[in-house]
Amino acid sequence: MSAEAVSCTIKSPVALQIGDAVSDSSRPGVYITDITLAEPVNIQEISFKNYYTAYLTVRLQRREESSAKWVTCLRNYCLMANPHAEAGSHDYFSIYRQQMLTEPDNVTTVRLILRQPSSEWLNFSIEEINIYSCAKEDSEGDVPAWLSTLTPVEEPLDLNGLPDPETVSSSIQQMWALTEIMQASQTAASIGRFDVEGSYDIKLLSYT
Amino acid sequence: MAEKRRAGAVMSDSASAKCESDREFLSQAGVSALLRGALLKLVESRPEDPVGFLAEHFAHLSSEAEDGGSEHQAVSRALWHLSLAHHSQRSAFNSNIRVAYELLTQCGRRQRGVGGVRGRLYTETLQCLCSEGGLSGTTASPLLRRIQCHDFESVPFELFRQGVLTCSVFADYIRKSQCLYAAVASAPDRPAERTLCQAVLATLREALETADGADVARYLEASAKISPAKVALAMAEAHPGKQQDGPTMDAQEFEDAAAALFIARVRMVT
Repeated sequence: MSAEAVSCTIKSPVALQIGDAVSDSSRPGVYITDITLAEPVNIQEISFKNYYTAYLTVRLQRREESSAKWVTCLRNYCLMANPHAEAGSHDYFSIYRQQMLTEPDNVTTVRLILRQPSSEWLNFSIEEINIYSCAKEDSEGDVPAWLSTLTPVEEPLDLNGLPDPETVSSSIQQMWALTEIMQASQTAASIGRFDVEGSYDIKLLSYT
Repeated sequence: MAEKRRAGAVMSDSASAKCESDREFLSQAGVSALLRGALLKLVESRPEDPVGFLAEHFAHLSSEAEDGGSEHQAVSRALWHLSLAHHSQRSAFNSNIRVAYELLTQCGRRQRGVGGVRGRLYTETLQCLCSEGGLSGTTASPLLRRIQCHDFESVPFELFRQGVLTCSVFADYIRKSQCLYAAVASAPDRPAERTLCQAVLATLREALETADGADVARYLEASAKISPAKVALAMAEAHPGKQQDGPTMDAQEFEDAAAALFIARVRMVT
């Protein structure tokens, strides 16, 4: 899971209204926000803070070989159980790729469609949108080298004339453990051999 | 032993000199604390000769109470305390070190006001520890060169503890390396093959040089390097075939090489 959000540009929301946007005085019930991503991303998670949005639909534009396709990955996701009530109106949400209808890979644009059917609220939106990409492949496969050599060798070794590896290994292990004990007990305490009242001056070595 | 008499019992005039009961007498003399301390030490160290151990314990207590004795006596008393517990019994060992440190500090207190053990006493203690642990002078001298102090210097408790622990652990380490040599040598009377010895020492050095990281990861990685399978592989690679006439390494050289691996990791005292 990556810790940093992918950089993206969030455009200002566009309201969908019937009729002329300027002259019509009724409040819109649908806002659409587009987010463009700098480069195609495999999305792991989209997180945001809600502000009185009731339902969310997410559409993705994927870059495929030749064309760009729009797919719906989340349809009418309910953010507020009761659009007239406060519950869920200020909550933080995270949408993971497992919840999405299609694989959010190679995504170039994300379109968020916000719906609020209730007339209670003057305004609604979502804020603090962050998109996280999938963890890189090699970090998941980053197994330490010694771990992969743990499986025992298939063909039996010819131990003719060689000392018993169990005894030898057990002695080496104890010697290693004793050295570790010694190293762990090393303290940074010093005897102040070269200190002159706390300072180091090679011309003024004093015998205290 | 006299029977206990309850305090306040009616006493005759002839016994009025002993106007206290036995229990009061014992508590005034502090004998119960004394015996408790002696028994605790006995249980901690579990010597083979309990009576001799108790005799030494009380002899040391009485000579400490006299507040006299030469420095040599102080060193031998401190060494006796340090021999009571093995370094693996961590808390008992630490408390014995504390007692020894106090003993050695008090010894020099008359001459100087600075706290800590005089360097000469510290060095002497370490030398005796090494020889008591079965280390020869030549084996112990590189280690002592790293951790000893000048005669005039004053050793604080942390350094004292570290020095004592290092010497005790080193004595065990050398004993283990002797067992290792015996395991590598094919027969008790014949020296071991040089290639085998070098392979075994190289395995140990690799495990010790495991890169820094979280402690747990380091331990896992090091223990993977010295598992029996890896050791067998290293030995088979070093000694293919059955040539018995290759150059050999004798026990002393092996011991010195193993000691060098340990001593290289001991921090020098400055």
